[in-house]
Amino acid sequence: MVDVGLIEKLKNRTLLFDGAMGTALQSRGLKLGELPDVANINSPEMVIDIHEGYVNCGVDVITTNAFGANETKLESSGFTVEEIVDAAVQNAKKAIKGRDVYVALGIGPIGELLEPMGTLSFEDAYNIFKRQVIQGVKSGADLILIETMIDLYEAKAAVLAAKENSTLPVFCTMSFEEDGRTFTGCNVTSMVMVLEGLGVDALGVNCSLGPKELAPIVEEILSIATIPVMVQANAGLPSIVDGETVFNISPEEFSYYKKMFVENGVRIVGGCCGTTDEHIKHLVDTVKDIKIQPRQNKALSGVCTPTKAVIIDRVKVIGERINPTGKKRFKEALVKGDIDYILKEAIDQVDAGAHILDVNVGLPEIDEVKTIVRVIKEIQSILDVPLQIDSTDPEVIEQGLRIYNGKAIVNSVNGEDSILESILPIVKKYGASVVGLTLDEKGIPSKAEDRFKIAEKIVKKAEQYGIGKEDIYIDCLTLTAAAQQEEVMETVKALSMVKEKLNVKTVLGVSNVSFGLPNRDLINRTFLAASLFAGLDLPIINPMDKEMMDTILASGVLWNEDKGAAEYLKYNENVSAEQVVVKDSKDKREDDLFEIIIKGIKEKAKTATVKLLEHTEPLSVVDEYIVPALDLVGEKYEKGETFLPQLIQSAETVKNVFEIIKERLSKDGSSQISNGKIVLATVKGDIHDIGKNVVKVLLENYNYDVIDLGRDVAKEKIIEAAVEHDVKLIGLSALMTTTVKNMAETIEALKELDKNYVVMVGGAVLNQDYADMINADYYAKDAKGAVTIAKKVLG
Amino acid sequence: MNRFPIDKDEVLRYLGYRNQNLDEVTDNLINECMEEMRGLIREKHIYRFFDIYNENGNVHLSETNLTLTGNDIKNHLGGSESCVLMAVTLGNNVDSKIRYYERKSITRALILDACATTAVEEVCDEICEDLENTANKQNRTLTSRYSPGYGDLPIDIQKDFLSVLGAEKAIGLTANSHSILIPRKSVTAIVGVMDIKNKQNRRDSRSVPENNTCLSCKNYSTCMYRREGGRCGAYRKA
Repeated sequence: MVDVGLIEKLKNRTLLFDGAMGTALQSRGLKLGELPDVANINSPEMVIDIHEGYVNCGVDVITTNAFGANETKLESSGFTVEEIVDAAVQNAKKAIKGRDVYVALGIGPIGELLEPMGTLSFEDAYNIFKRQVIQGVKSGADLILIETMIDLYEAKAAVLAAKENSTLPVFCTMSFEEDGRTFTGCNVTSMVMVLEGLGVDALGVNCSLGPKELAPIVEEILSIATIPVMVQANAGLPSIVDGETVFNISPEEFSYYKKMFVENGVRIVGGCCGTTDEHIKHLVDTVKDIKIQPRQNKALSGVCTPTKAVIIDRVKVIGERINPTGKKRFKEALVKGDIDYILKEAIDQVDAGAHILDVNVGLPEIDEVKTIVRVIKEIQSILDVPLQIDSTDPEVIEQGLRIYNGKAIVNSVNGEDSILESILPIVKKYGASVVGLTLDEKGIPSKAEDRFKIAEKIVKKAEQYGIGKEDIYIDCLTLTAAAQQEEVMETVKALSMVKEKLNVKTVLGVSNVSFGLPNRDLINRTFLAASLFAGLDLPIINPMDKEMMDTILASGVLWNEDKGAAEYLKYNENVSAEQVVVKDSKDKREDDLFEIIIKGIKEKAKTATVKLLEHTEPLSVVDEYIVPALDLVGEKYEKGETFLPQLIQSAETVKNVFEIIKERLSKDGSSQISNGKIVLATVKGDIHDIGKNVVKVLLENYNYDVIDLGRDVAKEKIIEAAVEHDVKLIGLSALMTTTVKNMAETIEALKELDKNYVVMVGGAVLNQDYADMINADYYAKDAKGAVTIAKKVLG
Repeated sequence: MNRFPIDKDEVLRYLGYRNQNLDEVTDNLINECMEEMRGLIREKHIYRFFDIYNENGNVHLSETNLTLTGNDIKNHLGGSESCVLMAVTLGNNVDSKIRYYERKSITRALILDACATTAVEEVCDEICEDLENTANKQNRTLTSRYSPGYGDLPIDIQKDFLSVLGAEKAIGLTANSHSILIPRKSVTAIVGVMDIKNKQNRRDSRSVPENNTCLSCKNYSTCMYRREGGRCGAYRKA
């Protein structure tokens, strides 16, 4: 009943929240560094007094003093999450004394950053928030306020925890800096897209700045949000005077800005740090009678990561390369868990200009759910490109969307009822966009009109599930000109009908059209041009295909999207510059692979290797060029004639050479060359990864297959990999004294399982004595040392 | 504006450079990385003064629940009547770019990492210089910086340290469950404030045999600062 009342209230008038709790407690004697939440039990009268002050001001909602009541922050407090949350809700209720005021369960950040920035996993964060939510509901909170978030991923975990474990309204606010981003780089558009997608009831900003500084950010939110916007500013910018944090704007000034916000369309206001009864009283009196201004923003069509929003207001390219179909090397990488190869595909596509990447890891011999989760996490840890999750399995889609950081696209549904009914609810729940293919149980209709009908059905059905048109992208399906020539133009016709009559975005995989014909590029780009002309928004292509990208660039000029042809002109400037560089390097004739490796000129490695392979066997390239060059480079390094960056540049050059050689061997069907397998990992809790990665590159140079488990790796995972890949040698890295104990535990667990495992360790805090102490078999003082050990153990 | 100079000699030192032949490719790459790093940094810092007192052999900070244990910090703050807690971070942007290059070009990642380490120390130096100038006007002077994890000052005070400063809200700096600062390129440090006269005395009394304090440090064999060719704050002071 209560939540209906609250949301009803919000429809008709401005909702008023209370002011600061933490700074209010500090002014009443809470010591710096003490958890304010504990005061709920240790000094309840103080908490109730503060609440009462705000209730007396006439606010609609007060927020519990439970901002930090999570298991991480409470760890050494002597209290449980349940005890503190319950006390916090009861204290709020005592202050209300039956008056018509709601209790918001305040939930703040956990205090540790999530992966990939930190080491806390998304799943752990979710579970931490879940405990707070469950107790909050049990204790009788009326709504959940997730606040002061700086990481959109953490906000997502909290919102999911709130929505999956309660039926209460959920409000969520984040803290922005003056540059319009949170500390972790999240921008306003991404926040709005993601939180609206997750179905919160209100979103906005709190803390960090005063109302004056927040004004431009509030304006930006108001310009795009389609749900009620909330603002809880500090009482000015915090400054430290004589050791005290001071917030120094007056209640009048505070209200002045808040009034402006409300007049501009903000629907929920209150105060954050430094605000007092006076600020809130003044605020209530100033804004309570302002007539609300309903805003009618059109929902944005787009996808995002926390730091980058891609709005589909003109043609955006979806890269198709992360897909095993028809790619032997990619399949191998998936089976072997060679994440580097997959990431390289991702990096190359983004470098080539892809705006979004399609991710398909469907292969019968691997666990698709596990793999999609890993691949999404890995890509998102290094690139801020939005992803399109490409699978037919609802479980893969759900798990992928769950851990995806931002707003993703689901590829795909089609006109079949059972598919629509199983996938659309997932799309809605996680606030994704969805690709609808114009086919159904009867296959792909040959006529444009029939494909249009299916598109119409998909749009209607999606809307029934609450998915707005802005989030539906229709794919009219490309057919092969060689086989179904008369139907090629039906696709283009259907596309333009969908665009015109359904008013949704369109997506199309283009390159199928040329299958079976010579000079495929020509057919592809001609078809692409036709499709773009018909209104294609999202071509799915290989962005490394320069001619396709050029066609899109040119279409931007012709369709009047690239204003003044600015991008086109800029691009052409660069093209001529590139040509000059190529010419220049030819004159120098640095094309001997041996020299290239010694000098570490990795850009030239690929061409030189390809050329060499024209008349030299792959294995001879290894024996006659790579090995001698590596030996010389290693020798120079050991003698102190070169230093680490030079060694590593040569190593990376060799890595590029090997990539070509491996591709060649794979093509020839020859067996791969390998001196043995090694598992490498940075241990649990540690995120310093560079040293381990340097070791990895060098080991790979010497033809060891490295199974790289990354950083912050639990011992269970290391054991699992050692068993699964049947590995003898395991390399562990740690940089901090605090994580060496996890190294010791990992070694103990490995030896317990099988005393024949050989473990080498390295990292800044280690030395031979330490290595002995934790029962490591070898201590590698540097990357070169690791290679020597590998040779000794594996040959 | 060249807000972050980033001293190339320091970058080279972190990379283990000892007057080897610095070829053009590497040299250019280092210059490029220094430039790139300057564009990545979103520096934030916070500091605050606290009165200190000794109790049960430990150093306590007034008005807080923070206690600094161990002999080393007690010695470091000996003669100081108050101290500054400071926290500095270069932001997540630096971390994520280094993470990116670890996959794309480990050489670049390595050099950027060294640039960031140099930059964060430079920021600390700059803050301390400002504080020193202010302190001098009141006949006060500062000790060198001393960080959690130096000597026998436990690193696991990191979370409490940050929460006393309100660093999470103020500058977005956190510590993980193993007391590693995140964003990674961050520093927390304690700086003593003392009467200028006191410092003179203290220097005199300590100047004789203890210059090589590293040897007497319990972290001697595992010290990461020493391995990287440097010294921790405890040494710099002596």
